[in-house]
Amino acid sequence: MKWLDSLTERRTRTIAQRTSRRGFLGKLAGVIAGSAATMPLLPIARAAEGGNPAPSESGDPNSCEYWRYCAIDGFLCGCCGGTMNSCPPGTEMSPITWIGTCENPVDGKSYIISYNDCCGKSSCGNCLCMRSEGDRPVYRPQLSNDLNWCLGTKSNVYNCSTAIVIGTALDE
Amino acid sequence: MKKFACVLLLFAGPVLADIQPEPLMVVKSLPESYPPHWIIAQDGSFFHMSNGKFIVLDADSDDPVGRFKGMFNGSFIAQFYQGKTSPHMYIAETYHSRGNRGDRTDVLTIYDKANLAPVGEVILPPKRSSNMPTNFNLQLVGDEKFALVYNFTPGQSVSVVDLDKREFVGEIPIPGCALVYPMAGSAFASLCGDGAMLSVQLDEQGQQASSNRTDRFFDPDNDPLMEKAALHKGIAYFPSFNGAITAIDLNGLKPVVLDTWSIVDGIDGGWRPGGISVISANSTGKLYVMMHPDGGKGTHKSPGFEIWVIDAGSHDLVRRIEMTTPVLTIALTRDDGLLVGTNVEMNIDVYDANSGELLRTLADFGQETPFLLHGSN
Repeated sequence: MKWLDSLTERRTRTIAQRTSRRGFLGKLAGVIAGSAATMPLLPIARAAEGGNPAPSESGDPNSCEYWRYCAIDGFLCGCCGGTMNSCPPGTEMSPITWIGTCENPVDGKSYIISYNDCCGKSSCGNCLCMRSEGDRPVYRPQLSNDLNWCLGTKSNVYNCSTAIVIGTALDE
Repeated sequence: MKKFACVLLLFAGPVLADIQPEPLMVVKSLPESYPPHWIIAQDGSFFHMSNGKFIVLDADSDDPVGRFKGMFNGSFIAQFYQGKTSPHMYIAETYHSRGNRGDRTDVLTIYDKANLAPVGEVILPPKRSSNMPTNFNLQLVGDEKFALVYNFTPGQSVSVVDLDKREFVGEIPIPGCALVYPMAGSAFASLCGDGAMLSVQLDEQGQQASSNRTDRFFDPDNDPLMEKAALHKGIAYFPSFNGAITAIDLNGLKPVVLDTWSIVDGIDGGWRPGGISVISANSTGKLYVMMHPDGGKGTHKSPGFEIWVIDAGSHDLVRRIEMTTPVLTIALTRDDGLLVGTNVEMNIDVYDANSGELLRTLADFGQETPFLLHGSN
């Protein structure tokens, strides 16, 4: 980000660092999601499922530097009328997505984060955020932040991205 | 009173002719073959993706207004291909019947270069991948008889369009693989998530005739190939995250991996390739690679602070061109004369591709996010 910070304020300059679309999975194989389920290596459908753990965490959830966004790429839904784990009014949450693994600095644990997109309206345009560690090219789609994941929704038009904790990750 | 009239005449000056009535309904056109230094800026309009556009610019011009030659649209992260054997440009794009909602229609739209107007279209299955623009989502093969569009639903496949008939003729599944790299004849290759490459040969009807799969030849976990390649004489050059280049010959029935070499070994500074387009090849086999210092995990999309010119044959680092402002994407003009790059301010810097001198900056031409640039054919 150093190069970006050195530039003067201008919205399009901010876009520059953030031109790809998606987040990534930081730690890959062998991690375990939730209590016992093996983390799928393909896009998963979890948007409608409940019972997500609520980890202790701190910081500004609408800041790109917030821990959950280690793998995100897009507009933060918390800045778009939703929250970090809910969609803005009138949008539809994509049931399939990609996932990342982010370390929560409060408890030092790594969590599996599901970056479900909110779809059906044009780009929110607020709080664009891209962090690319672990991102892979589109031949590894489950790890690729260049893909639009508004799939399986009525409209594939992208609005913003959530960052939903779906479980803890074991170290590789 | 006479005096006053004389004064009036003195100040009236010469009598001017009336402006003559002008013809109505005049619409300009462009030459079918663009001058060598015209470029096409592919603006993905990231803040309103359904209204992307392609802008034709004269990169030689210092006239900030006159350099703008025209534009045409591309909806929802459209993908682009410029015809080599015809004065056409092809756009794979997506529409919804109510703007951002309603029934989805994917379409391959054919534009003519002279009028920047659509001259044909082929409706596609509503499956095309809406990923960040690449040069390998849409390709033409078989002397440009067949158009190939990469699909992601997340099932992976390729839609085939017969451009003679201008109709969709079939869908070829490519499970586990992505994008379309043109091969000799009517064939294409795709990069696969297991580190191999798939190739598919088409028959005369555009159906799959055969397919082949290479052995695994790269490590997607520890040093992935970027999917961004440069093509020169049928050989695709792929940079890797850690700074190697792999050459793959696509001239035969099967892809043949030629060699892999590091372009960063022995050079201080932690330089790595990165960006949106990352690599471009000129007509003599020089590879222009976007490089950033202090690279590491997650920097593979960082803008290029330097362009390294690599001889694809000898593997030598020929030149390092420092960017005045870091660039997100680059392209070369077809005469190898100009290197153009979208910088981090979203303006286009024009460099002499040989001397590395910054010639001018194309700014304020109505652009927002010109993710890809193309030299005109």
